[in-house]
Amino acid sequence: MGNKKIKKDQLNTLFNELSKDCSVLVPTRSKGYIGFDLWDENNGDFIGWYKNTTIPLKANFFPKVEDMFRFNKGEGGYEIKEILPEEESQIIFGVRPCDARALKIIGTLFADTYKDPYFLKRRENAILIGLGCNEPCDTCFCASMGASPGESQDVDLLCTDMGDELLFETVSKKGEDLLSNMRGLSDSSDGDSSKAKELREAANNKIQRKIDTSNLKEKMRANFENREYWENVSMKCMSCGICTYVCPTCHCFDIHDENNKKDGLRVRNWDSCKFPLFTRMPMENPRHEKWRRVRQRYHHKFEYYDMNFGVIACTGCGRCIRECPVNVDVTQIITGIQSL
Amino acid sequence: MEGDNVYIPHVMKIEKVIQETGNIKTFHFNFKDQSQKDKFTFKSGQFAEYSIFGEGEATFCVSSSPTRMDHLEFSVMKAGKVTAAIHELQEGDEIGFRGPYGNWFPLDLLQGKNLVFVGGGIGLAPLRSLIWNVIDNRDSYGDVIVLYGARSPADLSFKYDLEAWDKGDAIDMYTTVDRGDDAWTGRVGLIPPVLEEIGPSAQDTVAITCGPPIMIKFTLQSLAKLGFTPEQIVTTLEMKMKCGIGKCGRCNIGNIYVCKDGPVFTYAQIQNFLSDEF
Ligand SMILES: Cc1cc2nc3c(=O)[nH]c(=O)nc-3n(C[C@H](O)[C@H](O)[C@H](O)COP(=O)(O)OP(=O)(O)OC[C@H]3O[C@@H](n4cnc5c(N)ncnc54)[C@H](O)[C@@H]3O)c2cc1C
Ligand code: SF4
Ligand code: FES
Repeated sequence: MGNKKIKKDQLNTLFNELSKDCSVLVPTRSKGYIGFDLWDENNGDFIGWYKNTTIPLKANFFPKVEDMFRFNKGEGGYEIKEILPEEESQIIFGVRPCDARALKIIGTLFADTYKDPYFLKRRENAILIGLGCNEPCDTCFCASMGASPGESQDVDLLCTDMGDELLFETVSKKGEDLLSNMRGLSDSSDGDSSKAKELREAANNKIQRKIDTSNLKEKMRANFENREYWENVSMKCMSCGICTYVCPTCHCFDIHDENNKKDGLRVRNWDSCKFPLFTRMPMENPRHEKWRRVRQRYHHKFEYYDMNFGVIACTGCGRCIRECPVNVDVTQIITGIQSL
Repeated sequence: MEGDNVYIPHVMKIEKVIQETGNIKTFHFNFKDQSQKDKFTFKSGQFAEYSIFGEGEATFCVSSSPTRMDHLEFSVMKAGKVTAAIHELQEGDEIGFRGPYGNWFPLDLLQGKNLVFVGGGIGLAPLRSLIWNVIDNRDSYGDVIVLYGARSPADLSFKYDLEAWDKGDAIDMYTTVDRGDDAWTGRVGLIPPVLEEIGPSAQDTVAITCGPPIMIKFTLQSLAKLGFTPEQIVTTLEMKMKCGIGKCGRCNIGNIYVCKDGPVFTYAQIQNFLSDEF
């Protein structure tokens, strides 16, 4: 099927239309940060002001806090009621290529051996409409991580911002079906396609930051016990965990109970390998020292995940660099390892 | 109720509580739902996530043998929040249980071999599952030695097992304590030297050991002295766990996730780990 385009001032009408059959989520600013939230006409003008969401797309599939089941103690003992995400299809619009890729990367883990129904249910019911970046941030290094700011194979439809218009290109079957049902779009021309191609190339060329991932696993392995290196690079880290919360591939969680023994909830919430309590056992803690936790985070992403799932768990979105209060920079850490 | 959601526990009923030592209790428990019981299988060495609703989950091995499925057992040393709540359990109380998870003792490696079990303290919990398993298939194995030690006579867990193994002829049973008391007439001494004194031959033998890290460390040295190669030594590892199924990200040692790839490893495997974090 051919590509389509729409005038930007028609987007509100399009989202209004789409919202009739399912929920439509777009980048939304609330409580001081940007995340994906339900679209309404008053925040339809997001294209232009957001570069990327503060909170990554993962939060819509693996929320910060989620109820897993309710337990209730009655006459006959405990009753357990599973709490699954609602069966409702969602269209998420404005997904950046790095976040779509991250969702795929953690999706592998959530689907591996023991299926994680919470993540997988939401994923099954979601359609991703990507929006390529024409103006990447100076912290982005996606081009080094097997991606490109303007392109994505991990969405269903990919949009390119062409100025007054948005170009919609089909990536998946799901996307093709959706596009053929969308009203108010017009056919695009070959000229539009070549303009989009130029915009993508230009975006790619704007990426300043680079890391070298060649032989990275081996290089990291060789320096695993280089305590001096890890102590140096972790010196200023405050173990606040922000980098792990804003990371689109960090997926570590905790499970705990709320309320009381009679009636309560089992809940899971994001956790962080940057916290000393993360691995504390009654007798010992293998990552009690900060440098070991910092080393764990980078080895997990750049070595272990690659060994176990064949892909590095970093997409170069640059959030950890932007949000770290003390400017810990993953690209410096990896470049440092490469130069050892 | 259960469906296919791995995080939803089975509700289980506590059938019996045994006070093993001052801070260790063993619990006999059973499925509330008979149809779930009929479907359930596990292997010696596997663990599960046990919950006290309202307090949370904690990780323990199944300490009974899969050859004796009348009920299941687990044994708990009081160590923190959930274990303290578990120690409050009475007969008839209900707990949550999901599993079994992880790998198991490699029965195919053990079959036809002589076996040396070395356990310290609560470390006998996973071993006793295997020991009863071996006893119930006694013809498949050569000579079996069990060496169990604890700090003092009052710290010996599973005394009923120790007695039964000592009486029967299936097993060559040795018990030792670090420090005796007035009533103690048995062996006194740390596990590693006692093991060397017993001096089992490494020929066609596999050693299976479980206990506190310091005991494991010196037991490995003693086994090496006796001629055991790293391939002939099997042990279990402990890391902080939450999910038990390779997702929550905390139990790894290098790229190995103890909950999925372990908890049972040969010493040879452990020597190849990509990490100094254990
Ligand atoms: C594969 C595997 C098998 C296992 N099998 C067994 C087994 O068969 N039997 C067994 O007994 N154990 C077993 N364990 C160990 C067991 O899982 C832990 O002892 C248990 O999870 C501790 O849980 P807890 O909630 O009681 O401890 P936690 O509450 O998590 O306590 C951990 C530590 O934190 C401290 N702490 C707790 N609360 C606080 C607080 N508020 N402030 C400060 N410090 C605090 C505690 O004192 C303790 O030192 C196994 C572990 C693994 C990984
Ligand atoms: S955001 Fe920065 S200071 Fe906070 S844990 Fe991450 S690296 Fe350390
Ligand atoms: S316990 Fe969660 S990953 Fe192993």
